[in-house]
Amino acid sequence: MIEADGLTKRYGSATVVDGMTFTVQPGKVTGFLGPNGAGKSTTMRMVVGLDRPSAGRVTVNGKPYAQHRAPLGEVGVLLDAKGVHGGRPARDHLLALALTHGIDRRRVDEVIELAGLTSVARRRAGHFSLGMGQRLGIAAALLGDPQTLILDEPVNGLDPEGVLWVRTLLRGLAAEGRTVFLSSHLMSEMALTADHLIVVGRGRIVADAPVAEVVARAGTSAVRVRTPDAPRLAALLSRDPAVDVRSTSADLLDVTGSTTPAIAALAAGAGIVLHELAPVQASLEDAYLQLTGGEVEYRSTPADASPPARHTAGAPR
Amino acid sequence: MTTAATPTSPATAASRPRARTAVQPVTYSRLVAAEWVKIRSLRSTWWALALALAFFPLLAAMRSSSIAAIAADAPPNFFVGPAYVTSGVTLALLVVCGLGVVAVTAEYRTGQIRSTLAAAPTRLPALRAKLTVVTGLAFAVGLVGVLTGWAAAAPWFGTIGMSVDLTDPQHVRLMLGVPLYLAAMTALAFALGAIVRSSAAGIASVLGLVFVVEPAFAYIPFEPLQELAAYLPTAAGARLVTSDSLGSVVTGSGVTTLGPWGGFGVLLAWVAVLLVVASVLLRRRDV
Repeated sequence: MIEADGLTKRYGSATVVDGMTFTVQPGKVTGFLGPNGAGKSTTMRMVVGLDRPSAGRVTVNGKPYAQHRAPLGEVGVLLDAKGVHGGRPARDHLLALALTHGIDRRRVDEVIELAGLTSVARRRAGHFSLGMGQRLGIAAALLGDPQTLILDEPVNGLDPEGVLWVRTLLRGLAAEGRTVFLSSHLMSEMALTADHLIVVGRGRIVADAPVAEVVARAGTSAVRVRTPDAPRLAALLSRDPAVDVRSTSADLLDVTGSTTPAIAALAAGAGIVLHELAPVQASLEDAYLQLTGGEVEYRSTPADASPPARHTAGAPR
Repeated sequence: MTTAATPTSPATAASRPRARTAVQPVTYSRLVAAEWVKIRSLRSTWWALALALAFFPLLAAMRSSSIAAIAADAPPNFFVGPAYVTSGVTLALLVVCGLGVVAVTAEYRTGQIRSTLAAAPTRLPALRAKLTVVTGLAFAVGLVGVLTGWAAAAPWFGTIGMSVDLTDPQHVRLMLGVPLYLAAMTALAFALGAIVRSSAAGIASVLGLVFVVEPAFAYIPFEPLQELAAYLPTAAGARLVTSDSLGSVVTGSGVTTLGPWGGFGVLLAWVAVLLVVASVLLRRRDV
């Protein structure tokens, strides 16, 4: 369990983490989602005492991290894949960490095997690919068999097999009742791995809810309609002020505020041929973009992000 | 908790794959064991140690053989054996100081420091453990160095009429002074490395101190400055490895009233001050 209360980090005049209050519960995978520069890594570093908060406090399993006498047995942490001296063989890196906590050498070999590094354990970590570095970092995090895991971008650089391995591993650890807290900016991965999401933008929490709820909050689901008679159908649909129609291409409409049966009935009544009529679920990506829309630190050129033309009731075509 | 059942005997618990991993509290001695694995698992450590060690027999043999040619003209017992045996100390000093700086700065360069301090979040024990291992290595280099230097110079002892006499307090002081001086100077370099946190800046500040700042003070023809120069770390510490009769092995100020152990004490005071600064900064700074 991780509990942050008013956690704040300032560098000079820049506030990177701005009064974050949240609880990461055991038995669940909690995703920490936000654009680059939103303060995810800084928050995680503060949790394990590497960065000192400017204000607020954070505890892990009931105590500040530094007050645990055997911290690696409480919390396993992967902050970045480069947390290792490149000249040191992977096994020696893990062995040195193990020795600090009197952890048995057999456990070192166990996590090496678990991470699939047995064949490269004697190679220097500097020769590792990014994916192998991630595996080494995850092996280090698991060394003390901790109750809480904090992983910053664990799937970054992993191949599909590695991504699947991390996902299965983390779900398994959460199912055992452990606390799993991982950051990512990959929505698709979060949708598959996480149960709960803490979404941040510009150092502030913009959502803290189960994944399904975050998605649901993104708004009503839409219906996609493909018809050769798009302008006429759009005009008909727009008579209802609750209905919003967007045209994404000449024969395609995205309709919100209506249902497939209602649209089908309306089209049939007007003799309009439909080629496609499909409900579209709002994705986590939509939810995320909507939540963090105003909070992005580094934005691409506005021209790329302009929304498609919107037809509202009565508007001339 | 993951433990499926309470272990009935230690043997069955250990053989069970999902048994809870035993984790002990972090202690200073565990951190020393970890730091030893860390430093021995880097190839650069062994290259540095081999290089530092090689200077002792090499310079002892070179200097002994060169004075052997003029020894006949010198009065009996003119040459102090240990001064020649320990000739390699200056060059070895550079190498072990480099090792002392890099042992700490490489942690910052590679990001290893985050793993290190996540495992030892109270931080200072980790610093002390690393200091212990690095200065221990420097001491060992000094000890093995004077012994190999002794062996390498011995063939010329008869010709020159000099010896290493371990019943003579000055001889013992010069021979044991080398490992002590190297260990203290390595601790100084280590502390500077921990303060600046960058290999380039750390090595530059150590070399700058030893070769630029201290000689510059000593060579300015203004007596108060020259007296001050004697209290700078290298000059003061080098008194311990300087024979009473001959000039210094390590060049330094000529106008000093510091005795060998007094000088070494001054060096230790510098080391203590820099280590306190390094400790305070380590506690305060983000990593």
